[in-house]
Amino acid sequence: MLCTLSHWMISRAEDRGKKLPRTVERHITRCSACGAYARSSASLASRLKEERSAWLAKVPDFPVGLAPDMEAPARDPRAVEAGRPRSRRLLIGLRPLPVAATVLVIAAAALVLTQVVLKEAPPSAQDRAAARAAIKSLTSAPEELQGVIGEAESSLDKERRILERSVSSAVEYLQARLNIKIERKVTPKSL
Amino acid sequence: MADHDRTEEKTDDELACEARDGSRRSFEELARRYKRRLFVYLRPRLASDEDAEDMVQDTFLKLYRNIGSYDPAYRFSTWLYTSANRLAIDSFRKGAAVRDKAAAVADLELPDPAAGGDVGPGGSGLWAAAQTLGETRFRVLWLRYGEDMTIEEIAAVLGRTRLAVRVLLHRARTSLAGRIGPDMGRAVRPQPGVARQSAGD
Repeated sequence: MLCTLSHWMISRAEDRGKKLPRTVERHITRCSACGAYARSSASLASRLKEERSAWLAKVPDFPVGLAPDMEAPARDPRAVEAGRPRSRRLLIGLRPLPVAATVLVIAAAALVLTQVVLKEAPPSAQDRAAARAAIKSLTSAPEELQGVIGEAESSLDKERRILERSVSSAVEYLQARLNIKIERKVTPKSL
Repeated sequence: MADHDRTEEKTDDELACEARDGSRRSFEELARRYKRRLFVYLRPRLASDEDAEDMVQDTFLKLYRNIGSYDPAYRFSTWLYTSANRLAIDSFRKGAAVRDKAAAVADLELPDPAAGGDVGPGGSGLWAAAQTLGETRFRVLWLRYGEDMTIEEIAAVLGRTRLAVRVLLHRARTSLAGRIGPDMGRAVRPQPGVARQSAGD
């Protein structure tokens, strides 16, 4: 497994023209098979380049040419525009379908925006009535608020009375039990 | 004569630009430079030498018709091999030159690695051995080491991803190293059926 991975890393380094990773270098020093693979991979590349000419020389010659009456084609000005960025050329020249789809989507979005979102219908009678009710509820808010406050106060009074009753009953019990008299020093104004 | 000499000194891309501007001589010089290289590249895919020669001729005719659209941002060789590849695919689809790939290797008039003689260090045995690896692996090796293309350029020519090209190259090199053995080429022997197996890469 390690050797397979090592072979792949050796190939990758060969393709990228970079040095081998240290882990692979260490492995090569220990593994003779991987060392042989690294050496053969490097020599294979150089020998293939060296032997190319000799190999081609053995190919039988054959005529290739243009007919004498064949006219030179017209130059296409679109493709030879100097300094045009590669990505733009790819986008427009080689991939017309995605470009057309994008344009279509943008046009559809613009249509929806102008027809639906920006162009709103005038308010109907129901909308007006709902708006009036909302305004009325806003203006009547102080009255309702006072009612709520009153309810809260009444519940506090009720609780205070219950507490006073329980305290006074506790006082009566203690007086009777301990034969003492308990007096209230300061009358509390309110809880 | 002096003009002819200068034409031979120019780079491929310079010649392609001149051909685009209407120079027939420059295009013919390009055809002279590339015809054998293209033949070697196309031959494993086609039934006979004649088919390969026809395909080379068709490729140059197509290129000449479209030379007006040549963009100097690309290398001429990349453009040429991409066109050749597409033509070969079209031809294959039409069924005009379909053949048994394993038989094709045996029919080649190129040097036979099993014949000895030239096979060995310094000879042309490595490329002969490479041809026995199968069509796709040979093409990748040829573009990489015969044409000195980058991984990106090979991917563009073959219409594959860079990773796929790297994997193909790795397999091709491993197979070739295994085929030629530790003495690097003295024992090159084509193995029957290997081309058929590896053609599906």
